[in-house]
Amino acid sequence: MNKTLKRIAMATSVSVVALGATPAFATGTTAGSTITNTATVNYQVGGVSQTAINASNNITVDRKVDLVVAEVGNATTSVAPGATAQVTTFTVRNTSNAPLDLGLAVTQQTGGTTAHGGTDTFDVTAPSLFVDTNGNGSYDAGTDTAVTFLDEVAADTQRTVFVVANIPITQVNGDVAGVRLTAQAFEAGTAATQGTLITQTAGANTAGVDTVFADAAGVTDTASDGRHSDDDDYTVSAPVLTVTKQSRVISDPINGTTNPKFIPGALVEYCIVVSNAATASSAANSVAISDPLPAQTTYETSYGIFVSGTYTGTPGSGTCNLDGTAGGSFAAGTVSGTLGSVAANTTRTLYFQVRIN
Amino acid sequence: MLKLLLAFMALVAPATAFATDSVALSSMVFVEKTISDADGKAKTTLHEPKVVTPGDRLIFIVNYQNRGAAVARNFVVTNPLPNAVAYQGTADAAAEVSIDGGKIWGALAALKVADGANRWRSARPEDVTHVRWTMKQAIPVGAQGKLSFRGIVR
Repeated sequence: MNKTLKRIAMATSVSVVALGATPAFATGTTAGSTITNTATVNYQVGGVSQTAINASNNITVDRKVDLVVAEVGNATTSVAPGATAQVTTFTVRNTSNAPLDLGLAVTQQTGGTTAHGGTDTFDVTAPSLFVDTNGNGSYDAGTDTAVTFLDEVAADTQRTVFVVANIPITQVNGDVAGVRLTAQAFEAGTAATQGTLITQTAGANTAGVDTVFADAAGVTDTASDGRHSDDDDYTVSAPVLTVTKQSRVISDPINGTTNPKFIPGALVEYCIVVSNAATASSAANSVAISDPLPAQTTYETSYGIFVSGTYTGTPGSGTCNLDGTAGGSFAAGTVSGTLGSVAANTTRTLYFQVRIN
Repeated sequence: MLKLLLAFMALVAPATAFATDSVALSSMVFVEKTISDADGKAKTTLHEPKVVTPGDRLIFIVNYQNRGAAVARNFVVTNPLPNAVAYQGTADAAAEVSIDGGKIWGALAALKVADGANRWRSARPEDVTHVRWTMKQAIPVGAQGKLSFRGIVR
């Protein structure tokens, strides 16, 4: 075959090669399959082609048990105190060359550094495990089913697992709870039933399919133990509120508005100052304020109540800017009002006037 | 008697077929394991293929011997790669490989694979489907030899 011809021949066979070049053996040859290698010799004796001779050998591929638990999103789950059904997400992948049932366990960290650099300071309550039944990658209450193991996970496939837990109401901004998901290899075979725990084949090779653990070390488990684990965490994101109340006299019946004094009949402005600290990691919404008036004062109906005003200076010693919007209510001797959102590092006020009896 | 003889032949034939052929051929496979010794030096050892899992390195060895009474010429040993084995090369520079099921043969470096429209890339070891040794010399009576190549369990 000359060079050009060879090249054409190569070109014609190209499509076949491209199709068949890379077999899909992502996690490897299936356990139990036989690799048969056959060599053939063709030769001539005395110019006559002889019958080709074959020689072959077989090896059985053993079961390599490998699994990977991985936290999804590489970010902490931001939660509010008292929040329920808060979710951290993991994937659990069967990288073995055989199907597995994967037993699941969620544990909580006690102190120490959590997955995303925080320090574990509290435990979530009632952590439970759900599998992403509808496969959309996010937790759907009522759709995704609670599980204790992943059933019949085929080789080189993965499932998404959610840890769903509640946050105690007592937690404060910046608190962190670490959770750990550990998966362990169990025998597959019967749908909806968790198989027996897989152990490595001890001692010498057997004629059948042997089991070899090939998993990497997780955060707490060791390599080649049939288990793998990974961490995720919850971080409490809450407003850090302080409330101060300040008053100033506007006028009195004798001095008027020039150097007024707190005497009976004087008009007094109360300003309730709500600050959300710069260190807070979330805004406070719907901040409700109620202020029962002292018996010695009378609510000044003609002035009214103003909410969501701004404030200049340090709460307690600064100035209540009278730029709020009318709102709130007065009933049964109590002034009530709701501020809109108070973002971190922001101060908002509610103010009204009373007359001293 | 004849029946017995046939049964006996059937037992022997798949393994060696020495009795009837003038060329004996056998195929063996070993698992190559690399371990670090106490000094941290890597040491490679060969094992019987007892425990074999994906990613293991295999060495296939083909032994041949001319047991006939005449010189064997145009001696060609062909070994298709099992599907589950990715070719990893051979020490024998004279070996040719095929990446298309045995149609085109050549050195691996000379073979190209289509990689998208009108694009070509050099063939990689895992593209190899067959390996072949063509003996330039005739094999004299009684002569024997050994051929080998490496593979990795997919």
